[in-house]
Amino acid sequence: MEWFLRNKVWATTALLVLVAAYAFYFVNSNIAVSMFSYAWFLAVPLVLGAMVGVIGERSGVVNIGIEGQMLVGAFAAFFAAAATQSVIIGVIAGALSGIAMGAFLAFTTVKGQLDQIIAGVVINIVATGITSFYYESGKTIPRGLPNFDVPLLSKIPLIGPVFFSDGPIALFALVIALVLHVLLFKTRWGLRTRAVGEYPSAADTAGINVVGLRLFNVTVAGTLAGIAGTYLSMEATSTFERDMSAGRGFLALAILIFGAWRPMRALAAALFFGFMSASASQLQASNVVDIPQQFINLLPYVLTLVVLAAAAGRVRAPGAVGQPFVKGD
Amino acid sequence: MKAKPFLVAAPAALALVLAGCGGSTGDTSSDGSSAAPKDCSSADVFCIGLVTDKGTIDDKSFNQAAWEGVKALEGEGVQTKYIETKDSKDYPANIKQFTDQKYDSIVTVGFLMGEATVTAAKANPTVKFIGVDQFQDAAKTAPNVTGLIFPEANAGYAAGYLAGLMTKTSKIGIVLGEEIPPTQMYAKGYELGSKAANPKISVAKVYHPAGPNAFSDSPWGAGEAKKMLAQGADIIFGAGGGTGNGALGEVAKSSGAGTSLFCIGVDVDQWETVPEAHPCLVTSAEKKLVDGTTELLKQAKDGSIKGGNFLGKTGLSEYHDFDSKIPADVKTKVEDVIKKLEDGSLKVA
Amino acid sequence: MADPDRPPAKDTPPDAGGAPATAPAEAPAVPVVAERGAPPPPTGLLGFLVRHQAIVVPILAVVLAFAIGAILIRAQGFNPTYAYQRLFQRSFLTEGGLLATLQKTTPLILVGLAVAIPLKVGLFNIGGQGQLMAGGIGAAWIAHSLRDLPVPVLVIVSVIAGLLFGAMWASIAALLKTTRGVHEVISTIMLNSIAVGLIDWLINGGPLADTSQVFPTTHAVREDARLLPLGVLPWGLPVALILAVLVAWMLKRTTLGFELQTVGRNRFAAGYAGISTTKATIIAMATSGALAGLAGTLELLQIEPYRYQSGIAGSLGFDGITIALLARGNPLGTIPAAILVGAMRAGAPSLQFELGIRPEVVDVLLAITLLMVSLPVIAKWIFRRHTAKQTQLAGSWGA
Repeated sequence: MEWFLRNKVWATTALLVLVAAYAFYFVNSNIAVSMFSYAWFLAVPLVLGAMVGVIGERSGVVNIGIEGQMLVGAFAAFFAAAATQSVIIGVIAGALSGIAMGAFLAFTTVKGQLDQIIAGVVINIVATGITSFYYESGKTIPRGLPNFDVPLLSKIPLIGPVFFSDGPIALFALVIALVLHVLLFKTRWGLRTRAVGEYPSAADTAGINVVGLRLFNVTVAGTLAGIAGTYLSMEATSTFERDMSAGRGFLALAILIFGAWRPMRALAAALFFGFMSASASQLQASNVVDIPQQFINLLPYVLTLVVLAAAAGRVRAPGAVGQPFVKGD
Repeated sequence: MKAKPFLVAAPAALALVLAGCGGSTGDTSSDGSSAAPKDCSSADVFCIGLVTDKGTIDDKSFNQAAWEGVKALEGEGVQTKYIETKDSKDYPANIKQFTDQKYDSIVTVGFLMGEATVTAAKANPTVKFIGVDQFQDAAKTAPNVTGLIFPEANAGYAAGYLAGLMTKTSKIGIVLGEEIPPTQMYAKGYELGSKAANPKISVAKVYHPAGPNAFSDSPWGAGEAKKMLAQGADIIFGAGGGTGNGALGEVAKSSGAGTSLFCIGVDVDQWETVPEAHPCLVTSAEKKLVDGTTELLKQAKDGSIKGGNFLGKTGLSEYHDFDSKIPADVKTKVEDVIKKLEDGSLKVA
Repeated sequence: MADPDRPPAKDTPPDAGGAPATAPAEAPAVPVVAERGAPPPPTGLLGFLVRHQAIVVPILAVVLAFAIGAILIRAQGFNPTYAYQRLFQRSFLTEGGLLATLQKTTPLILVGLAVAIPLKVGLFNIGGQGQLMAGGIGAAWIAHSLRDLPVPVLVIVSVIAGLLFGAMWASIAALLKTTRGVHEVISTIMLNSIAVGLIDWLINGGPLADTSQVFPTTHAVREDARLLPLGVLPWGLPVALILAVLVAWMLKRTTLGFELQTVGRNRFAAGYAGISTTKATIIAMATSGALAGLAGTLELLQIEPYRYQSGIAGSLGFDGITIALLARGNPLGTIPAAILVGAMRAGAPSLQFELGIRPEVVDVLLAITLLMVSLPVIAKWIFRRHTAKQTQLAGSWGA
């Protein structure tokens, strides 16, 4: 109850959305399920990407290299799986490449005090360059990650088929958003991370190893970006195309800010964006309105701006984001 | 923070050593298609250059097909070479690389290069230009430019006709890249063809939002296919480079692929280029790019090539593994339609 | 509004990180800042290098980056010396190549400035792409619909249209920020996509389409209004150079520039000093949008095929970020940065043509250069405690 009172707006909105979704479901279950599934299908990489950003920025490190990290993850996963004909090795390679990219960002910015935006841009350019340079056509993987039903949960109407009948990475994305929320706001790690991101010198005085925590967080966050890439090349599809990340890393950044640097709100924001895309796709495919597709396809972008403008109220980034920490500075 | 000189010193030293031990000339290297560069200004050597559209030579689609068409001519006295375009503003400069070297024939791929091709042709009247997918307007073009164009609508019509005969749910889908003339024509033909075969049919059609990723966004294509399948479509035509390939892959992964769910590829025989689609790929709506390019280059070589537009062939690729699964009467009807499209007795309006 | 009599440029230059400048008179743009408690500046050769480290470090970094790039090229089985030789011979020593280099340099300077100016105010403009497209389409519209005007007037109004459209597109993000608190990173990302969609409709059978062409495009600019290059010099280049100098001057020597930078350094302090953050935000974004819009206009007026079509923007918007970062946010620094990137891009096709190296190698080379230029390690290695402190551009993110 207390929680409800503190989060009146959010709780009410969530409830209304849920009611509306089920109303839709009872009007036409087939269309509703397929549209929400599509929304979630597109939202998964955005959620994972936004989590990368949440962890990084909450610890005080901007990551605009999510796009590149994702692309390299997709590349590494696909080609490792193609070379070994093993999906598991592909997933591991994707995650490891993410760690490598995360570590690059962490060590150059936190240890080397490279400007964080520059480090991100470097990652993006390198990623486009090498994934294109070393791309080989004609490779295949045995079969992408399979979809499966989570026992019981997949039986829930609407929510079951949408969230609990997908592949392992989609499920992981859902879980990680919940887990990260708890970690960030209910654990010591979360408290320390937020302290390091808000006010590193105070955190330092309090005995927190600012540099160490930032290194750890940013590196681990890279794993999520690698997994997001793995999702693109091994779960959403079973192929690698050059530039297949297609701007999703930048969208994830927008989702992160839309979600006010909070995991659950970012999840909600990604779902909102996904559902707007689903509506655009449905309008276009069903051909019920005579509007050029270009306008229909603008829907997610325009509505995101409208919602943000209507919600007003400045969201605030973590205080020390972008600032390198030098002990005694 | 301590400076770590070795961080930069080590790679730098290594680099200098490596750079230093290289030979004095770079002539040993080549793009694999030409052993030693020949003198293109000589009459004995026929040099063919290819400039790709914004995209790569191994795009599993029209750049690759055009290049294969060029390579088919390789042999005694022929030299071939390509340049990949990274920025569409480089078209004139990339064409000029070849004209400066006195190449005899230059293939430019993609309608975006149409104007640059004509401009270059006017400046180099002895060079034979072949513009793949470029409709050459008689009023503006030059006599040494031949546009290799394809009636995509016919290929789309044949694919749609096949889909219309095969669908059990009377719902089919088409996932396209950016809305540009070739994709529009495929879509139009597909819709008309499917309606001709099955008047009750409904076709779900989506274009990718415009932008630089419109033909490489395979996850988007997969998502669209997934939604269409969930809403009852049982045949999906993926017509948009990587984006369309994503749709094919999604159908191939779905349960029922190859028995109740099918997919159709585009541009080239995608059985060869998109192996992950094998479980569902019945055929591809094909532009015979390789044949058309080779044919025109042969004409350019023997001097019989004419300016204007050269209408390439379109059709459906082989059925491959599905040959036995498609009913004989369906095959006959489709063949009949393709024949009528070819001889012009059936026109896609 | 600030006191108009305020001495405008007594403040330290932007790169100086707030410490007293001890820059010699001959290089005012390149301040050397001693950290607190740093030893007195050394003399002799080292002293010269230390005083000019803002120039020395990037040059060294570029050399290092190319050395590392050489490993990559060698690993591909090519001779790096020969490759570099071909690359730069093509982009500087051939007539067509030099023209291409300068044609690519022109918009790069402008989009670099379009990112650099908002950075000074603490804004991260990721929307150069959309602003460039807005400017380009605006200019294409005016250039076609007013095509009966006398040529010089037509060119001028088209350029003005491009400036205004770019400024307008960026102002949407600025207004969303100042009135509704929408973070500029989101709004500019969304506005990029919106620009792509709207313009695709306009030129793909929409009101601005040239329907005589089979592909989506606007009408071509009339022939006598095209800005054909003067030899190897594109018209836009001097304009871009002048603008870079003007922007540097504006930021450093005018009250407006002082206000913008104050807002960027500390918006609360700026508030106390009576400087309007709202005004600074709108001015910075509108100016940067206008510059990006001009880049789009020049791509229309001086580059074949003189039409607005989908490839016109290329990756210029994002290249702007690269340029601004290579230049460390310094407006004058965008010039060498743009020339370097322009030359590499212009030379890349001939790498593939003559050696068969994939053109992407240039992107990798560029990324290494950016990394080397920006890594504080290099400067610290050479200059140790005399290293100038670098501003953190990323600090603007959280604003």
